[in-house]
Amino acid sequence: MSLFLTLRVALRALIRNKVRSILTMLGIIIGIAAVIAVIAVGQGATVMIQEQIASMGDNPLIIFPGSARVGGFRFGAGTRSTLTVQDAEAIIKECPYVKAVTPIIRAGGQIIYQDKNWSSGIEGVAPSYLEVRNWNLKEGNLFTDSDVKSATKVCLLGATVAKELFDNEESVGKTIRIRNMPFRVIGVLEKKGSAAFGHDQDNTIIAPWSTVSRVLQRSSFNEVNQILASVTSIKMLEPAKKEISAILRQRHRLSQGTEDDFSITDATEITNAITSISRLMTLLLVVIASISLIVGGIGIMNIMLVSVTERTREIGLRMAVGARGKDILLQFLVEAVVLAGIGGVFGIFLGYGAAQIISNANNWPVLVSTDSILLAFVFSSVVGIFFGFYPAWRASRLNPIEALRYE
Amino acid sequence: MLITLNQITKVYQIGEVDIPALRGVTFTIDRGEFVAIMGASGSGKTTLMNILGCLDQPTSGQYSLDDTEITRLNRNELAYIRNKKIGFVFQNFNLLPRTSALENVELPLFYGNRLSSRQKYQRAIEMLTRLGLADRLEHYPSQLSGGQQQRVAIARALINQPSIILADEPTGNVDSKTGQEIMKLFQQLNQEEITIILITHEKDIADYARRLIHIKDGEIV
Ligand SMILES: Nc1ncnc2c1ncn2[C@@H]1O[C@H](COP(=O)(O)OP(=O)(O)O)[C@@H](O)[C@H]1O
Ligand SMILES: [Mg+2]
Repeated sequence: MSLFLTLRVALRALIRNKVRSILTMLGIIIGIAAVIAVIAVGQGATVMIQEQIASMGDNPLIIFPGSARVGGFRFGAGTRSTLTVQDAEAIIKECPYVKAVTPIIRAGGQIIYQDKNWSSGIEGVAPSYLEVRNWNLKEGNLFTDSDVKSATKVCLLGATVAKELFDNEESVGKTIRIRNMPFRVIGVLEKKGSAAFGHDQDNTIIAPWSTVSRVLQRSSFNEVNQILASVTSIKMLEPAKKEISAILRQRHRLSQGTEDDFSITDATEITNAITSISRLMTLLLVVIASISLIVGGIGIMNIMLVSVTERTREIGLRMAVGARGKDILLQFLVEAVVLAGIGGVFGIFLGYGAAQIISNANNWPVLVSTDSILLAFVFSSVVGIFFGFYPAWRASRLNPIEALRYE
Repeated sequence: MLITLNQITKVYQIGEVDIPALRGVTFTIDRGEFVAIMGASGSGKTTLMNILGCLDQPTSGQYSLDDTEITRLNRNELAYIRNKKIGFVFQNFNLLPRTSALENVELPLFYGNRLSSRQKYQRAIEMLTRLGLADRLEHYPSQLSGGQQQRVAIARALINQPSIILADEPTGNVDSKTGQEIMKLFQQLNQEEITIILITHEKDIADYARRLIHIKDGEIV
């Protein structure tokens, strides 16, 4: 019996018991859909993290005040700031591996233009900030070193802020109020796109660090939340970290044996940490998905055993007219594989749909790769073969006379 | 000789108990014969027919069919012989339910056959037409009368041009008029050189055959 005919016979048999076939497929459908959705979300998250890391700039190093403890990286400032603008200046002057560096002083607040108001973060930085972050201006100009020196009240708007306050109208040259202080807009940044976990990188305003410090924070110290440095090449990350550490230890007069009062993190560390978390999550979910596939497979096995019993006379008759054991084996095996395979295809669509919904609801990119679709299809077929084999083998071993006599 | 049976015995075992169904059956059947095997219920007719039809192996004895020693063959070789040389007609028709008459007739062609599906289809149509069922091709068995169902089963038995038709009480489930029609059909087929072995316990059915073999308690009498 040819494979094509066997396939047709299998399809007929499945269509004959539509409801039963669909219910049996359900286990596989859910299992495969779960696998597809989970892989899609996992891969989407990975790509997103990579993009976000890339959007931080070329080979970025982030220097935080306060000592690093467990885990190797930490976000946000320590309780007491130990890094200063002068530290940043010393790094670019003394460390040959660093291409550009900027201090970052963070503030936040209400931004008002005429009758519109909006809230966003304000970053006080050096003019080299855009170079460090690999970011371009869309309109206007950057502030200069002399703006920094005299703490001029000028600012650049991120794309989101520009849109919210000016709604596509010309903003350069206008004056906005940040925490009730007038700032002149001198430029607008290019859109960078939103980053991880819904954080919008374009919802920002940048201004000279001196202005943020003195005008907004009314501080006379030059303490910073972090220093962002861009290293000349990825190979230089390690030497740069060592060198910066040496420079900062010397500047902070830390004697040998005392802990660093700052921590230096490079993007690979962040990537690794996040990737290992997301890998763990994916693994966990794949285990759950596999369990549901096994349950689906057992469902197939169960229904195939029922089907073999119900069709004992048919098997006997087929044997009487010349079917060999292997013809019968193939017939039922193909039936199980078709059941699982069709379930797999439906599961792929359902998983794809679920991934889209997750993506739309969470603003979280989702990647359905052809690899994962292929994997799902192969996986469901393997489930069909594995769980369909025993019932099919039982059918093939039937004695034709007893099968024909079966009531 | 087409069929030579020599001292065929068959013993069924149910637990510890041995049930002898055939006790040394010996006879020959020539090509083109029309034989009726007669006997009371439980005399071993079906057991004999299963052995003749290569569905079962005897406990002892020799069975040669077309110069092939059947008792030495394995399951697959027996399946091949059933497919090529034997057509079965059962008392209860044994048609596949919810499957058209046409597909029921095509069934033997699925196994060990190199015909294209077009050729299979053509042959099944021809066979059903010959048996007067040209207007019932797409009917399911449940939509056919007993006589029509048995004719579909006969078409299925004939589709692979077998040398032997084995019929186990083919008229047992139809009314007497239909039974006579079926027997006339067998006579007609016999005229086309097909060997027919018929099992029955009814005298007037057996009368259609040209030779009678009586069996009693597993022995030829
Ligand atoms: N599969 C079987 N297992 C045990 N005993 C059987 C089996 N088939 C038939 N028999 C016994 O063998 C004897 C002959 O049966 P069978 O060949 O069916 O007779 P008939 O067809 O003439 O009515 C009977 O006594 C029956 O009970
Ligand atoms: Mg009987």
